[in-house]
Amino acid sequence: MNCDYLMVHYGELSTKGNNRKEFISCLTGNVRHALKGLECKVEGKRDHIYVRLPNPTVEEEAIARLLSVSGIQRISPVYKCSRDEGELAACGASLIRDSMKSTFKVETKRSDKTYPLDSYAICRLIASAALKTDSRLSVDVHNPEVTLRCNLREDAAYLSLSSYPGLGGYPLGMNGKVTLLLSGGIDSPVAAYSLLRRGIKIEGLHFASPPYTSMAVIDKLKDILSVLNGFQSDIRLDVVPFTKIQEAIYEHVPEPYCITIMRRMMMRLAESWARKRKCLAIATGESIGQVASQTLESLQVINEVTNYPILRPLCVSDKVEVIETAKRIGTFDISIRPFEDCCTIFKPKKPKTHPNIEHVRRYESFFDFLPLLEEALSGINTIYMSDGEEVIPSK
Amino acid sequence: MIYLDHAATGAVSPAALSAYLEVAQNHWGNPSSIHAFGYEAKRYLDKARKTVLEVLGLSRTHDCYFLSGASEANNLAIKGAAASFKSRGRKILYGAGEHPSVINSVLSLAKEGFEPASIPLIGGAPDPDALKLNKEGAILACLMAVNNETGAVSDLDAFYSFRLANPKCLLLIDATQAIGKLPLSYRQADLISFSGHKIGALKGSGALLVKKGLRLTPLIDGGEQESGVRAGTVNVAGAYCLAMALKESHSDLKSNLAKTQRLYDLLHQGLRAMDGLVKIHDHPRQSPYVICFSTLHHKASVIVEGLSNKGIMVSSVSACSSKKENTSYVLEAEGAGKEEAANPIRVSFGKGSSEEDVRGLLAALGQLFNEVKKI
Repeated sequence: MNCDYLMVHYGELSTKGNNRKEFISCLTGNVRHALKGLECKVEGKRDHIYVRLPNPTVEEEAIARLLSVSGIQRISPVYKCSRDEGELAACGASLIRDSMKSTFKVETKRSDKTYPLDSYAICRLIASAALKTDSRLSVDVHNPEVTLRCNLREDAAYLSLSSYPGLGGYPLGMNGKVTLLLSGGIDSPVAAYSLLRRGIKIEGLHFASPPYTSMAVIDKLKDILSVLNGFQSDIRLDVVPFTKIQEAIYEHVPEPYCITIMRRMMMRLAESWARKRKCLAIATGESIGQVASQTLESLQVINEVTNYPILRPLCVSDKVEVIETAKRIGTFDISIRPFEDCCTIFKPKKPKTHPNIEHVRRYESFFDFLPLLEEALSGINTIYMSDGEEVIPSK
Repeated sequence: MIYLDHAATGAVSPAALSAYLEVAQNHWGNPSSIHAFGYEAKRYLDKARKTVLEVLGLSRTHDCYFLSGASEANNLAIKGAAASFKSRGRKILYGAGEHPSVINSVLSLAKEGFEPASIPLIGGAPDPDALKLNKEGAILACLMAVNNETGAVSDLDAFYSFRLANPKCLLLIDATQAIGKLPLSYRQADLISFSGHKIGALKGSGALLVKKGLRLTPLIDGGEQESGVRAGTVNVAGAYCLAMALKESHSDLKSNLAKTQRLYDLLHQGLRAMDGLVKIHDHPRQSPYVICFSTLHHKASVIVEGLSNKGIMVSSVSACSSKKENTSYVLEAEGAGKEEAANPIRVSFGKGSSEEDVRGLLAALGQLFNEVKKI
């Protein structure tokens, strides 16, 4: 049985009212982009997107790609079959049998009301054919393992059986873009995935401190972005030269407060950069309580430097969940490569978990960091990852 | 780029590369084939074998087998000898500073009932007196000619005396860092291993020289290539390239050694001037091709990264990573303190190294020691 087309069902799109057209158009564009090279014909209609396959061999690849497109709730392969009773029964029966499940139900819709059989009759026709082919099958109208849907149209009968759960969320691009702090650790790529699922585009921001941190971390980040390209095909990574700032902090600030003040500097830089890039928010992979700088007290003190929105998609996630997601999306093995984003030289033995804002302000007054921040911003180096490869933009 | 990591690997020499291409493009037959084109390839293989043995003065005493590198050669020598001679005894001696391909091969034999015995270092090289203390039941001693991390040179004559006095204990000399560089003799060793890519040949080539009449149990079973010692179609082009590279290294050996000694002295002098910042690991017998020093107040991995960012390539045990806090087991075995063993930097010279390279390195080090935060 050959798949004729794929039916893409929207998730939240259906609740959007006036913006519906815009959403459908955005999602249709994203679907087209995802299916580039497969020569599918994509049509965005009010209730579904129809993806016509040029031939059945691309079915598997097309579905695999669509599973990474945010905004899709379900994907159903649809099979076209003749309206002749015998063939219809045979097609329906073979689809049910091939599903390898034991209980089923048939649902029919007659778009063409002139068809001789009514909906119930069509259901019975297909069901009895299925039951005859396999004695292990049985009908269960309340809780079937599999449901065969039949849509009888003027030109043919369209049957669909399974559906693949999509990524959910919103179409990418509908919800603007944010500056995401990417360390290369396990959390930030998962935060990226959460944002992308929700249709929010990301631009990566990384703080590098050569020679304390190795160039290998940058390679690690390129590999992570290469994986995330599956969800957002073009991602830029802005690398901030952070060495001087880090050295200055450690020279002037008492050890327990170094991390707190380092994070404050990072947020200041992130805000300036986000504004420049016209990103609507900053995002991080922070999770409450995970490390000293991520207690609520620390977050309050660190957040104090900016009133730009800071999104923390993982703020209430357990590490176990985060690791599971990282493994599922394919970033875990890259993240655990042993190249630290922060040299052990700069790790204080007893970082403050409950920093005092007055102390923090006083320590920051010990050195003039504004020129260092400006210097860092002007030294930013940008890397572009597109469809899994690094792209060097032409001048 | 200033490349000072020749102990890790070096570039292929133009002459060796031409030799490789000549065979790969024009005489690429299978040397085991029974037709004219195969016989032609066999002639090149035979020539390679003959050249290696001649250059090292071992034509009458040893056979030469080509394989993928020193690691494979060490594995074959150790596991092959252990399997063939287990009736003689169970103890296998190895220097505490040997290459991991030696140490791990020997340790892997423990589960088959063999008894690995580590020989402590003196002056950075295996202590010949300790060999005597461990001779009871020993069937194989694995001792490197020059240490790859520190450049310490072994007292090969003392090893050969031990061998004479203990005929049941075979002697494996890992000559990887010595071959083509130091004028050492290997005639009294039973097994000699080395790789190609450190003497101007390509990676993926190496040789094991075996005393005539010594039968090793092969690691790789299959056809009858290499007299049944190492199955698999021989990489004739690689072997020929290796032989030519070895010949080339030997013809310039003395002049390169003298030049490298000057570079070593220059670097040594420059490092001594960095009073209190580094500790140079000197040895009574030292190969000038390798110099190892520890950073006393800086993290070695940060200095190495800083040098790399300035286009200067050197080596250390640990990468910029807190997850893998590596220390040099060789320096520890030498008696170095924990901090020193954790922060080694290794600089190693090759044929193309120059005084400019050394000066560039010293200048960059000076700069980095000033700029980088002390630990």
